[in-house]
Amino acid sequence: MNDRIRRFALAALAVTSATALLAGCAGGDASGSEAQDRSLRIVLATEPVSLDPCDTQDAANAQILRANVLESLTRIDAQTGEVVPLLAEEWEASDDNKTWTFTLKEGVTFHDGAVFDAEAAATAVNRVLNTDIGCGNGTTDQFPYPVTTTVIDENTLQLTSEQPDGIFPLRMTYIDLASPNTPTDAKTDDPIGTGPFELGEVVSGESITLTPFADYWGEAPEATEVTYLYRTEPTVRASMITTGEADLAVPISAADATDDGLTKEYSDNRVFFLRTQTNKPPFNDPRVREAVHYAIDRETIVGALMERSGLPYDQLVAPTVNAYLEGYEGPGFDPDKATELLDEAAADGVAVDTTIELVTRPDLFPGSDEVMQSIAQNLTDVGFSVQLRSLDTDAWLQLLRKPFPPEQVPNIIAISHDNISGDASFTFPKYVASTGTNSTLENSEIDALIAEAETKSGDERAELYQEASKLLYDEEFTLVPIALQTKLLRLAPGIDYEPNGLTGVELRISDITFTG
Amino acid sequence: MWIFLRRRLLTSAISLVGVIIVVFFLARLTGSPANLYLPESATQEQIDEFNRLNGLDQPLLVQFWNFLVGAVRLDFGDSIWQRRPALDVALAAMPPTLTLAGIALGLSLVIAIIAGSIAAVYRFRFPDRAISVTTLTISSIPDFWFALVGILVFAVQLRLLPTSGYSTASAWILPTATVMLAPIGVLTQVVRGAMIDALGAGYVQNARARGFGTARLVARHALRNASLPIVSVAGDRAAGMVNGSIIVGSVFAFPGIGTVILGAVLNRDFAVIQASVFVVGVGVILVNIAVDAIYALIDPRVRVGAGKGK
Repeated sequence: MNDRIRRFALAALAVTSATALLAGCAGGDASGSEAQDRSLRIVLATEPVSLDPCDTQDAANAQILRANVLESLTRIDAQTGEVVPLLAEEWEASDDNKTWTFTLKEGVTFHDGAVFDAEAAATAVNRVLNTDIGCGNGTTDQFPYPVTTTVIDENTLQLTSEQPDGIFPLRMTYIDLASPNTPTDAKTDDPIGTGPFELGEVVSGESITLTPFADYWGEAPEATEVTYLYRTEPTVRASMITTGEADLAVPISAADATDDGLTKEYSDNRVFFLRTQTNKPPFNDPRVREAVHYAIDRETIVGALMERSGLPYDQLVAPTVNAYLEGYEGPGFDPDKATELLDEAAADGVAVDTTIELVTRPDLFPGSDEVMQSIAQNLTDVGFSVQLRSLDTDAWLQLLRKPFPPEQVPNIIAISHDNISGDASFTFPKYVASTGTNSTLENSEIDALIAEAETKSGDERAELYQEASKLLYDEEFTLVPIALQTKLLRLAPGIDYEPNGLTGVELRISDITFTG
Repeated sequence: MWIFLRRRLLTSAISLVGVIIVVFFLARLTGSPANLYLPESATQEQIDEFNRLNGLDQPLLVQFWNFLVGAVRLDFGDSIWQRRPALDVALAAMPPTLTLAGIALGLSLVIAIIAGSIAAVYRFRFPDRAISVTTLTISSIPDFWFALVGILVFAVQLRLLPTSGYSTASAWILPTATVMLAPIGVLTQVVRGAMIDALGAGYVQNARARGFGTARLVARHALRNASLPIVSVAGDRAAGMVNGSIIVGSVFAFPGIGTVILGAVLNRDFAVIQASVFVVGVGVILVNIAVDAIYALIDPRVRVGAGKGK
């Protein structure tokens, strides 16, 4: 018997050692190469859906292509939020803000050798704006008015908007310019631009490699080759930095953050806020809406539950957006004041005890369900009768958008909205104006300010939006800002990169440096 | 045997058509892709145009008829998400899934046959108990937990394996182990049970009496007789593996049909859902036919039985 057990144990040991040996042999090359050859491996959450230059509205596509392979006439300076030249040297507007004349940079060529001139630029702009190939860019969201192109001379391109458009140069940041040899009657998976990198090998489902473009007009980036990998699981992305399989992981979750200076936080100009209704009791009384503001303990909820993924926030847009109010402080946490407001409303016959729905969706942001549960508790504490509903995106969208049918239960809906453009026209018409598809507000004064701002540019435009902001925050209380969301990325030792508000949609390889 | 296979093929084809029809209607119950693909501020006109372009504006029965007409020609339409033929998307995902399934099943069988045979020989004694407890424990480990802990231990701590990917041989080890978790326990128990029966049979007792050693008895005599239940359970497992593993796809970025189907459902990509279900269905049918063929090879009685039916 003992002998048998010993034999069995020996056999088991042999099998185990053989397996370990096999694993050891196969794993010999897993430690990864050193970054001395200046090649970069970047691990992202998702693979791009399309490589067509006209589909860079999608973050997964843009993060690889924009500013690396493709360039536009103008770009947004991530630090200031201002529109600065890229392939255009300068531009000028006509007095009515309808005709915009761009002077183009000289000496620029596309990766296929085609010369970048006004003719090429016009072809590229028309491919996005005036063809029917289903571009993600150039939609009415980005370009609300039809645009025509006119070539003035070799280096001058005139673009005319059917309506006055004060932020036309900003809109041009959305049009990545493709080589004139790009097909205009179909999508392509071979993006040819003017950027510092050319598209190299594409292995579907696995990786995309970029190689430097020798004839790039600007300063050559430090990286000599870039490989993008995709991993859905945030823990795996972070682990790949530890194991040396990647040099930059973006984004990672707070649980995988390190305190060694290699994990960096960045805001993607995304604000998490709540929207109340206005068309039915109890929310048709502004005091009830104001009570919602006082009821929520942002500091505690955001501080404890969002950790490094958010900061308590009082406004609808990030500080880089022109509607931002410098120094504004919203109604703080004051549950007594909230109860008082509700009691007042109740005394005037408002049905404050009506059951309201607090609507969210599980993928609003990581950990959002816990945050929403705390908010529901806050609201219950001051006297609201709250039911929390977590819906899938499709069902959530139906409650977000108009029409709001009368049989709908009064609700407060959780929204996470980003505005990386720096201009409030990508937020206010949709969420604040009474015609906005996602707006519950009806305020003619605010509508007039937004409409006027649309036709203006610069400071004048900013002031009008800020005035609308003030009215929204001080009188209407329909939108309840909770947090300015932040994201995290992780760097390998020897790599330096300062993330910014555009990192999520424009990861410029030129901004990545090697310190080792 | 050929009559048997033909009958099997016909009944399988009928169930495949049934499944595809059910999936067609179920997918459409999940909601409209328009909400997901258009910007939040999309107007009703834009939504109508999107639906028109994608053929979603037509009555459901008309859509169904168009789908059937296309499906007969193996044309499932284009993926809304990836803008290429849905069948190409599904087929491209099959080689990694099938390779992984083949390796995982092969290794599981080898381990199960060795462990199950040892357990049968030492029935109710320590080796049997140890093997049963170990293999059942392995089978009870949740695969997502094993996958993440596997990465933390073998990639992050020991640095023996890469965290993920599939282009190097070493990257296949953790995904293969993850997929092997569940089959090992079941297969070992099946081998053990079948082997105990076989070892108790008269001809084996007879051989033992003639002085054959235990190893030879197991390998030469009992295994062949024990293999019928093993083949049928392994076939069942193989059919399950053809579906691909969502965990392996999402954790290890290992491409495969499981990831494709999950992505298609989340993206309301009806054409890809349908094409994938078709491809997986055909895969399952082929596995079943292969199992039947192996049965016939192992057990002459199956061949003789079918021959009489001619």
